[in-house]
Amino acid sequence: MAKAPVQNFDPTQPVNMIDLTCKQVDSIYQHMLSKGMPEVMWTVDIQKFTWEEIRDAQAAGKKLIAFGGPVPVTIMRAFDCVPFFLDTIPTRIASMEDLCGRYIDETEKYAPTSMCAIDKAQLGCALKGEFGIKIDAFVHATVPCDSARIAYPMMERLFGCPCFTFDCPFRHDDKGYEYLADQIQAFIPFMEELTGMKWDAARYEKFKEITIESNKAYEILAQLGDLRKQVPCVLPGRMLVLNEIIAPLAGTPEVTSMLATQLEMGNMLTDMGMTATRCPDGQQPYRVCLMQNMLWSNTGIMDWMEKTYGAITVMDGFGYQDGVIFEDLDNWQSVKLQLAKSMLLVPMIHGATGPTEYWLKTIDKMYEDYKVNVSIFMGHVGCKHTWASGKIVTDYIQEKYGIPTLYVDVDAIDPRYKSNDELRAQIGEYMESVVGAENFCK
Amino acid sequence: MSYEKLFETNISSESAKAWKASGKKAVGYVCCHVPTEIILAADIMPVRLRATNCVDSSDAEAWMSSFSCSYARSILQYLMNGTYDLDGLVQSDGCMMATRILDNWEHIAKKNSKSQLIHQIGAPRITTDISVGYYKEELKTLADKLGEFSGKKVTDEALKAAVAKTNEVRDLIAQLSELRNEAKVSGTEALRIMLAYCDLAIDEYIAALKEFLADAKGRAPIKARARLMMIGSALDNPEYIKVIEDKGGLVVADDLCFGVKSFGDKIVVDDKDVLGSVADYYLKRNTCPRMLDNRPAIHKEIVDACKKYSVQGVIYEKMQNCECWGGEAYYLEPDLKAAGVPMLQVEREEQMANAGQLAIRAEAFVEMIEK
Repeated sequence: MAKAPVQNFDPTQPVNMIDLTCKQVDSIYQHMLSKGMPEVMWTVDIQKFTWEEIRDAQAAGKKLIAFGGPVPVTIMRAFDCVPFFLDTIPTRIASMEDLCGRYIDETEKYAPTSMCAIDKAQLGCALKGEFGIKIDAFVHATVPCDSARIAYPMMERLFGCPCFTFDCPFRHDDKGYEYLADQIQAFIPFMEELTGMKWDAARYEKFKEITIESNKAYEILAQLGDLRKQVPCVLPGRMLVLNEIIAPLAGTPEVTSMLATQLEMGNMLTDMGMTATRCPDGQQPYRVCLMQNMLWSNTGIMDWMEKTYGAITVMDGFGYQDGVIFEDLDNWQSVKLQLAKSMLLVPMIHGATGPTEYWLKTIDKMYEDYKVNVSIFMGHVGCKHTWASGKIVTDYIQEKYGIPTLYVDVDAIDPRYKSNDELRAQIGEYMESVVGAENFCK
Repeated sequence: MSYEKLFETNISSESAKAWKASGKKAVGYVCCHVPTEIILAADIMPVRLRATNCVDSSDAEAWMSSFSCSYARSILQYLMNGTYDLDGLVQSDGCMMATRILDNWEHIAKKNSKSQLIHQIGAPRITTDISVGYYKEELKTLADKLGEFSGKKVTDEALKAAVAKTNEVRDLIAQLSELRNEAKVSGTEALRIMLAYCDLAIDEYIAALKEFLADAKGRAPIKARARLMMIGSALDNPEYIKVIEDKGGLVVADDLCFGVKSFGDKIVVDDKDVLGSVADYYLKRNTCPRMLDNRPAIHKEIVDACKKYSVQGVIYEKMQNCECWGGEAYYLEPDLKAAGVPMLQVEREEQMANAGQLAIRAEAFVEMIEK
């Protein structure tokens, strides 16, 4: 008899998304506590902090600002607000077929099925009015893609709160940075009006403190990147997913601490000649780059690749972090330009929102520095503009690095799109017949 | 009668060939945020790229994948197979699919050692003083590049002369719209006429259109069962409208980027800032929901047009994988309902693969309106 699917919520009742998530994360937390797993508690501590900070924002006297795309979260925090990255909803629920399906199906009543499921899931939650929290303001950018451009204007109207839009330039050049810097300046009065606080010397001092903290986090992230470049790679592919949490949390001691612990553990493993991956006997003949999106709906596939082929995912194309370390913090004009630059360097924006040549630059950084020898285009079907660059990019990889790329169509968020078995079969066939990998599980 | 060329649906390279034979350049452009006035002012012939009647885009699909929009893919196909043989491509990042036409064509042309002027304009997606300023700078760069390419600098005078010509076209298209309102010109004919602007040199187009309008004024009104409006994704195939009109509908108005939206109101030029006037006009007009702040304005224009043209039903066609036009129904449908206008939503591909299904749905919609 087939196993009944796990029910994540009562479908007959309205869902309170934030409350439900907090309870789920807390339940994982309590489970880990009870099992006595102190060495990995930091992986759930950060999730607990993220969701409870959102849930409790207003009770703590803070404004909650929902955001989409690259926006200056450090400025929001300087105004004592809590930034709520809407993408964390779909990425959080991607493995929950029932909940994810509930929101995606709601959106598909009004929007095309071809729309990116990241946007479908968050828009569906908004359409159903199930965030379960009051949003005080909505700040979004005009990137990453056309799907977001359907979702954000609709959500503006659904939320009915003050909104601010950052128009990200197509080209990431000096003119583009100045354009964005001018908008950052225009964002300040918006924040002043929202919070009733002034962008005065005291506020700027706070902003500097937060930026210094954010610098620390990005510096550690760069060191974690260096750690992943080592052969063997000590950190599992899964950790790439967790590190994406830096987007809303940059500038908080909590995210700095999480990254520092991860680095400490990584360094310790290196010293001990061990890894935290599932590769058999630490053997890692294959270093994989997922050159498109992260497969949030099935992150377990990376564990499977490690276990089955000793194939470690060293980097993913859109999660690649190339943050700016801010300098000359007393010079606001310079800081604005650095903020603009950093907004255009965040995952999913750096390689995919402008001309295809930006993606090729990211490919070079990943394939050279991370010593990639297996290339997989884990193509999220909603990310059509990257599919439309696919041949340019994969030809480039073949010609420059001599690596053939596997194309797999997946839905990064909607687990109903492709079964785990089918995905494993596609990757497995490629690994065994093209790469010539040994299957350690046979 | 010399206006038959207005009704040639297939892409015609005759006009561009004649233009190039005189030693001048002709460049293709994609999307509504490329001001043709700047191209004209550089004494270059603008050719708006379209994909009409493309029946096989498999070569382009290898580059853009099957997850791309078939309209964009088919334009790339026409560039690849030589249907378009032009000196270059200028594009704005209208949507991300359009953007990839340029990326892929630049790559393919380079690979085939085909010399091309390739230029991408960054068009903002919100309308503020800051964004108009940025867009104006983008247009300045375009003007400089085109001037260098053609050997004729884009001056204010040349730009004003070009605006005068395009304004004349806008005026003629407004007259065409009036004839549609009087049911003297069908939607199929109107789209054919407007598509002809893509391929013809502007003087040739103006002359032919004037002649047609003079003739059409004397026509008897077309009898139809329902007055309709078409809205939605880039529609460059008059046959699509013909299927609907064959079932008794008459498309008297549209909100299409190959239809009246690509012409719009006249540009008012400020002599002190001619390029700024062009930038302001192109960024602020509501051609497409690619902008993030113009949706309510677009919806209002559609509802207003329904009233002005006595529209009884709106057909909202959505190209598969076209996100820009994907989500308008949520707010538009209630607005139309409040105005007493029903809306039919249909999905389509660039190839006319579902004409039978469209005919059935159009007929049912017309019957519903009649009741």
